[in-house]
Amino acid sequence: MTELFKTALTLVSFVAIPLLIFLFLGWGFVKKVKVYEVFVEGAKDGFTTAVRIIPYLVAMLFAIGVFRASGAMELLVALLSPVTNLIGMPAETLPMALMRPLSGSGSLGIMTELMKVHGPDSFIGVLASTMYGSTETTFYVLAVYFGSVQVKNTRHALPAGLIADLFGMLGAVFICRVLFGI
Amino acid sequence: MLNYVWIGLIVLGILIAVGNDLKDDFHNTYRNGESLNAMVLVDQPPSALRESWEGEMVIPADDFNAFYGVTSATKEIRQPVRITTATTGESSLLLNVDAAAPEPWRTMAKNATSKDKLIGTLRSIRFEEGGKRAHVEIILEPIRFVKIRAVTQAALDYASTAVNIALGLIGIMALWLGVMKVAEEAGMIRIVTRMLTPLTKRLFPEVPPDHPAVGSMIMNLAANMLGLSNAATPMGLKAMEELNKLNPKLGTATNAMCTFLVINTAGLVLIPATAIAVRAAAGSANPGIIIGTSIFGASCATIAGLIAVKLLQHMPRFKKDDPALQPSSEREGGKEDAHD
Repeated sequence: MTELFKTALTLVSFVAIPLLIFLFLGWGFVKKVKVYEVFVEGAKDGFTTAVRIIPYLVAMLFAIGVFRASGAMELLVALLSPVTNLIGMPAETLPMALMRPLSGSGSLGIMTELMKVHGPDSFIGVLASTMYGSTETTFYVLAVYFGSVQVKNTRHALPAGLIADLFGMLGAVFICRVLFGI
Repeated sequence: MLNYVWIGLIVLGILIAVGNDLKDDFHNTYRNGESLNAMVLVDQPPSALRESWEGEMVIPADDFNAFYGVTSATKEIRQPVRITTATTGESSLLLNVDAAAPEPWRTMAKNATSKDKLIGTLRSIRFEEGGKRAHVEIILEPIRFVKIRAVTQAALDYASTAVNIALGLIGIMALWLGVMKVAEEAGMIRIVTRMLTPLTKRLFPEVPPDHPAVGSMIMNLAANMLGLSNAATPMGLKAMEELNKLNPKLGTATNAMCTFLVINTAGLVLIPATAIAVRAAAGSANPGIIIGTSIFGASCATIAGLIAVKLLQHMPRFKKDDPALQPSSEREGGKEDAHD
């Protein structure tokens, strides 16, 4: 059953993009939209949107880069590991949980490293990959999405996003302990 | 809030880097100025023509660990070395540090005068077995400010990474914005919007249910769930642009924008393709085992995020900036500086 579900979803993710393009452009043509002209008109905004994001992304990524390079992560891990030990989260996966909202490439690196050291099917390996799949890179999404519309005052988006990350990580620990518990 | 977190990351980063460097200096982590005993297996002894000789430096793992106070060396260390003996002044050596070298040598080499090489001075040398082996006493070059240098490098690297990421989006953005525009003109977006009105009315009460923003948001969320991230981002940005058309105060996030963003940051994906690929590459017997657990984790994130965003928008500090509640309803063009 899960196999079938997986195959179906993999199939969808392969054909979805050509299908969407076919459907949207084809439907437009049927509806007598001047497809080429309208496409070009819309695509024109691609450049300006991407360029508009640059200052927001530079501000965000540079701050995260400074934080990561300073060794602050090790300090945070040392401070937080007594708390996470209480909920049965292995200390090795704490850097993963902390890095996930900050940096996609950083957490990918940690996940790969953890699997190399502990094995992908170990509890730590399963938990780390579940954590990776349990949330998005909040700071990156925030910079890109708000940057594209020049929103500087992000109000409660960041705290809410971080609360979501926290519960994503807690949920990952909970479900992994229940299913593959030590 | 973002202001505090942002400055916190930078200030904490710099302060901790300085603190770490002071700690390294205090403990002399890199054993600056202390002499280390090693043996050199000589490949090419000095001749009348050459004053330098090449060989392999050998240090037993225990000696190395004891000297640096670490546990990183697990086997005997063997690194190529070139020693130049001078008749006057100090003899010097050049140690190659490759990926097989243990810490802290790799960190030291990264911060040394020449990359991936450590320069040192020779305190004493004693040959045995007809010049095939030599016992040496060396002092490696002093290594300081490792973290501060790393911070400087990271600041510059990440700034250009940001630009590369943004520029890399141009093509994908143009493609999908073009497709979306055609879909919009053809009335496609309106159809998608109508299908999910009952749900979107609850999630985004501020947005009129037939507004084009709703269609873009639904397509973004659908693309995200299917793991089509390169289609999802352009659709999401399109949705933000539409939401911004409803924003009475440019430059400040509306409630709908925050809600939409939180759903995106929670990142509910039906197939976490990246994690599965990494697991498969690491030789997992069952890479797909995390699909269910990831969906569970991301659902927790999504539900918690939605509850949080709906509660936080009523908090006085966030409510006072709500664009919908501003006294003047005309768009101010985002001139005003953001306060937190």
